[in-house]
Amino acid sequence: MKFKILLFLLSNSFISNGQNYKFGKVSEEELMEKLSPLDSSASAAYLYKYRRTHIEYRRGQGFYIVTDVYERIKLYTKEGFDYATKSINLHVSNNEDEEVIGLRAYTYNLENDKIVETKLEKDGIFETQESKYRNQQKFTMPNLKEGSVIEYKYTINSPFYWNVEDFEFQHAIPIKELYAVFETPEYFNFKINPKGFLRVTPKQERGSGKILFSNKVRSGGGLGGATRTTYSNISVDFVKYTTYYNLSDIPALKDEPFVNNINNYRSAVNYELSFTNFPQSPYKYYSTTWEDVVKTIYDSSAFGNELEKTGYFEDEIDALVTGASSPMEKAALIYDFVKSTVKWNRYYGKYTDDGVKKAYQTKTGNVAEINLMLTAMLRYVGLNANPVLISTRNNGIPLFPTLDGYNYVIAAIESPEGVILLDATNEYGTPNVLPLRTLNWEGRIIREDKSSSTMDLYPKQKSQDKLTMMVNLSSNGGLQGSLRSIKTNHDAMIYRKRYVETDHDQYLENLENKYGGMEIEEFSVKNENDLSKPVMESYKFSMESQADVIDDKIYFSPLFFLRSKENPFKLEKREFPIDFSYPSSTKYMVIVNLPEGYKVESIPEPAAMVLPENLGSFKYNLEARGTNIQIIVDTEINEAIISPIYYDALKAYFSKLVEKESEQIVLTKV
Amino acid sequence: MQAKYLLKFLLLFVLLEGFSQNNYYSSLTIPAKLDEYANAVVRSYDTEISLTSTDEMHIKRKRIVTILNKKGNSNVDAYVHYDNNVKIISLEALVYNHYGALIKKIKKKDFKDESAVDGGTLYSDSRVKYLEYTPISYPYTIEFVCEISTKNTAFIPPFNPLTDSYVGVESSSYSISYPESITIRKKEKNLEGCDIQKEEGHGQINYKVKNIEAFKPEDYSPPVFDIAPKVLFASQQFTLEGVAAEVLDWNSFGHWMYRDLIANTYDLPESTINLVKDLVKNETNDIDKAKKIYQYVQDKVRYISVQVGIGGWKPFNASEVDRLGYGDCKALTNYTRALLMAVGVESNYTVVYAGSSQRSLESDFAAMQGNHVILNIPSLEENIWLECTSQKLPFGFIGDFTDDRDVLVITPEGGKIEHTKKYAAEENTQHIKGEYVISSDGGIEAKANIISKGIQYDDKYWLETEVERDLDLNYKKRWKYINTVTIDKIALKNDKSSIAFEENIDFHASNYTKKAGDRMLLTVNALNRNTHVPDRYKTRKYPLKIKRGFIDEDDVKITLPEDYEVESLPNNILVENKFGSYKAEFIKQNDSMVVYKRKWVVNDGEFPKEDYDDFRSFFKDVSRYDNSKIALIKTQL
Repeated sequence: MKFKILLFLLSNSFISNGQNYKFGKVSEEELMEKLSPLDSSASAAYLYKYRRTHIEYRRGQGFYIVTDVYERIKLYTKEGFDYATKSINLHVSNNEDEEVIGLRAYTYNLENDKIVETKLEKDGIFETQESKYRNQQKFTMPNLKEGSVIEYKYTINSPFYWNVEDFEFQHAIPIKELYAVFETPEYFNFKINPKGFLRVTPKQERGSGKILFSNKVRSGGGLGGATRTTYSNISVDFVKYTTYYNLSDIPALKDEPFVNNINNYRSAVNYELSFTNFPQSPYKYYSTTWEDVVKTIYDSSAFGNELEKTGYFEDEIDALVTGASSPMEKAALIYDFVKSTVKWNRYYGKYTDDGVKKAYQTKTGNVAEINLMLTAMLRYVGLNANPVLISTRNNGIPLFPTLDGYNYVIAAIESPEGVILLDATNEYGTPNVLPLRTLNWEGRIIREDKSSSTMDLYPKQKSQDKLTMMVNLSSNGGLQGSLRSIKTNHDAMIYRKRYVETDHDQYLENLENKYGGMEIEEFSVKNENDLSKPVMESYKFSMESQADVIDDKIYFSPLFFLRSKENPFKLEKREFPIDFSYPSSTKYMVIVNLPEGYKVESIPEPAAMVLPENLGSFKYNLEARGTNIQIIVDTEINEAIISPIYYDALKAYFSKLVEKESEQIVLTKV
Repeated sequence: MQAKYLLKFLLLFVLLEGFSQNNYYSSLTIPAKLDEYANAVVRSYDTEISLTSTDEMHIKRKRIVTILNKKGNSNVDAYVHYDNNVKIISLEALVYNHYGALIKKIKKKDFKDESAVDGGTLYSDSRVKYLEYTPISYPYTIEFVCEISTKNTAFIPPFNPLTDSYVGVESSSYSISYPESITIRKKEKNLEGCDIQKEEGHGQINYKVKNIEAFKPEDYSPPVFDIAPKVLFASQQFTLEGVAAEVLDWNSFGHWMYRDLIANTYDLPESTINLVKDLVKNETNDIDKAKKIYQYVQDKVRYISVQVGIGGWKPFNASEVDRLGYGDCKALTNYTRALLMAVGVESNYTVVYAGSSQRSLESDFAAMQGNHVILNIPSLEENIWLECTSQKLPFGFIGDFTDDRDVLVITPEGGKIEHTKKYAAEENTQHIKGEYVISSDGGIEAKANIISKGIQYDDKYWLETEVERDLDLNYKKRWKYINTVTIDKIALKNDKSSIAFEENIDFHASNYTKKAGDRMLLTVNALNRNTHVPDRYKTRKYPLKIKRGFIDEDDVKITLPEDYEVESLPNNILVENKFGSYKAEFIKQNDSMVVYKRKWVVNDGEFPKEDYDDFRSFFKDVSRYDNSKIALIKTQL
């Protein structure tokens, strides 16, 4: 009875898995398939994706990570041909490098009902030294047609056993069948970190393996005796741990607008080395918890030591802060000092490259050099300052403790009044106004006692944009007026970057052309360099045909060119969170003076709406007062990140907003 | 006496140094006007070329550039390309501060070294060394000194003082020396109005130019290569990747290319020859045969760029493309030619500058030029041009990638300059037949049939293979002026034989009209509104150039809501000017139906800069007319 059931199960799995995934065994059915049954819009699909990564001992060389890759891909349309070119990145470091061996690849086509295979020859394989740290092996498959199936297999040998490439389970095309294995001897302990929307859990197994070690033993060399070297071979049995994944019918991962980094949602598993325990050696810890990660980073000479150095700046900082009385005053002076003297070389990093001292001397440095220097200086004058580790937007969100999880560091001052975050690599930044690249969920603060905790990076304070406009509308539909905008926080930061880094005449031309051609006079900007104040832009302008004059009536939407013309959300549905980067508040105040001889016939109704959970709000008020009309519009987005469950609400909200702002005022001739 | 002379000489030398050199390092000495619209100013750029033999050339460059702001960092241009035939002899960069004091020295070994494969190329053996420098304040000045030697003499760098936009040039010099056995040809371009000095001696030519204001690109202006001063050089005797050649004119140039680079690549396997012969056996004329072959190529091969050694200049053998099923533009063009040869159809390998800017080869200066290869099929009526890297374009259609420009056609008898197909305004058409219904709550329901030809076909044919989600987004963007539009139907037809792209689209949106009390304002042009107005310039500097013309014709039936009536209809519009014409008609059929007819014609052409404002007004007016509204008023019951 039991036997029968087992047999039934087995045969069942055979039926559902009728494909043969042996290399070279491409079937006619696979070649004939016209569309992916998983996704008819797919230009290509992985029919089978196999990867086995294991750790191997090599005599005289030590441990290697060996990865076998075998992939079978169906190309449905010409757009899918991109998947027939593969690039393999190979790390290089200190005379050691990763290598690809045993590459074999074939293209299969159906010609006159017969399967014809074309082999990838040497002339389709290319090796490049991309830079000091990276080689690349590329190949491109021969003889492709719509409907071709390609297959390739190769092995990557890597001496960097602490670095296991992530296992990725989801791509821009669907995957029909996936099999992945990771095997390690007991000497290595890896932590398994799954990520992505589509969660996977590995199956685990325990087995055994054997290593032959070669030991070199020296003896003798004492009184009168010669030195002898003997070699002894020791065979060691070990326990082998295996994790494997077997997945089918994985949908494609499609990118969407307003997503900060699609990799955050890609289904994958990361293997992080937490410790090694070689025979007759002490445990060596890498990282398993955030505390370990913090400790490893802090203990690194390119972090902790660099943070403790003070000698190189003491004299100058002493002189700098002499006049200052309060600690916050000192902090402000130091922050400005670092920003203005040490320039960012555009390299990210939680570790220093050349060290803080060198960076101070040469006046340039990477992120770690600049912000660790800043932290050290703040501490030196007595502030409670600490580094905060960050994962930038393009690095993804660190969901589990890994060293690579962080790639950036900033400074934080903790005081009873609250926390102030500082990044001195950003010229236009101010306290708590961090560059957009760093606004990525949470960071981790490391205190002097090496304890750590999470730190919310998203700004609490809203960026404000207050815009005041006074216009005279003429009876031919033209406008003359003045406009003033005052921006704070991130809005100010973004404005300053654009304004300061553009040639003045060019900036004006761009501004004039932004709304389809206005003529600007008396343009002025205040506080573009005084970051402690909001930045203010003001000018006078004139524009033609901003209202429709039909018979004896004039029609116009009262915000004129300022109105929102397009709904930014166009997709019918959405799966991933919507990222606004920072909360904001926009306020328009517009006064329209009517042309002489006209009176208001009708004006839009005032309106107000709110997003669910107080995520945002819109208020639209207007009032006709004889010869003029006053309009006040308030738009608030209260959260930096909005869950996709509110997508429909958000889309409807913006649709309504665009509609409301386009409603017309009608004037008639008296 | 001698000492005195020496002293004088030294003094003179010091003075010269003081004048000619040091003042380039400080940003304070930039002559007025050169920093207008400039992110950087080239203070002095000296290029010394010495051609010692037909296979040995030394190039020495010294470039001092002051960077005025962050955007100028991309104009540091301290890099050098090299490969197996190019040796870097010396390389150094020096950084000076605002006042001209030396603050940093970067040696050859501190330059970054990377593979120079660009995005579109799978592999190339070219590498690049470049300077990576973080400025600590602006302005700053970089002096870049580089010397290389190369065995390739087919390309002699031109004297090209103005290469980038937004960069002023204070001084730029060029000298070339060569032995008597070598003949150097040269061509001067756009030197009128430049402060230029020229010296020509025995085996030596020198140029020097001073004070060129920054080039600021303007909408609808001629491209920089039509404006910038330039002197081109070529050696009559040269070597390319070890192959020696002698070239006098385009004819001999074509001859050389055909003989040394192309002629011996035709080694198609017998099986393929038989296959294509069989393929065209029922075709009677060359054009129909060529169509069959082109389709065969499009189905069989794809574009992959691999550039190694002489392969950077010479196409892959036809047999290789046949086996691999891929190649770059040279390989795919030549493969197509090989197949056409096999079926007895004449065609020619053709060198061109690709890109929408319609750059022509210098028709009177034979030298290595161009960046792309297409195929020419000579025909009594009109030349046919084939883009062999595309798997989608219809036969004989080249679009804006290689249209309307001078190209080099290489025949076994030699080279000759020809002009590619020009797409005139009357060929670049878009015809919309549409109808829409306005509901009494202001919603719109529309159906549009859109047929595009010529360059307008080129703008749209790629939609055929887009996935549904992206198509949906594409049409929402096309009608972005309609708030929250929903696309209900998308049916596309790519008619490759008549080269017409047909779109049948249905969409709807609520609140299309603007409501004001009892009135509803209906913007009549719902399907094809012009939203583009060229930028305005306080003082237009360059002439106006409209590269390609077009004609848009719209014919739309509008059904009005029952409970509204027309209060006022816009006046018909007719505009005609030297740039084209615009016509809009609003015809009331009955109480509930209005017919809207619109025709907009823009012609290609070149006009003096004084015409730019009128041209801009034309677009602005069209955009305004396209916003013409019908005022509807609720029917009084």
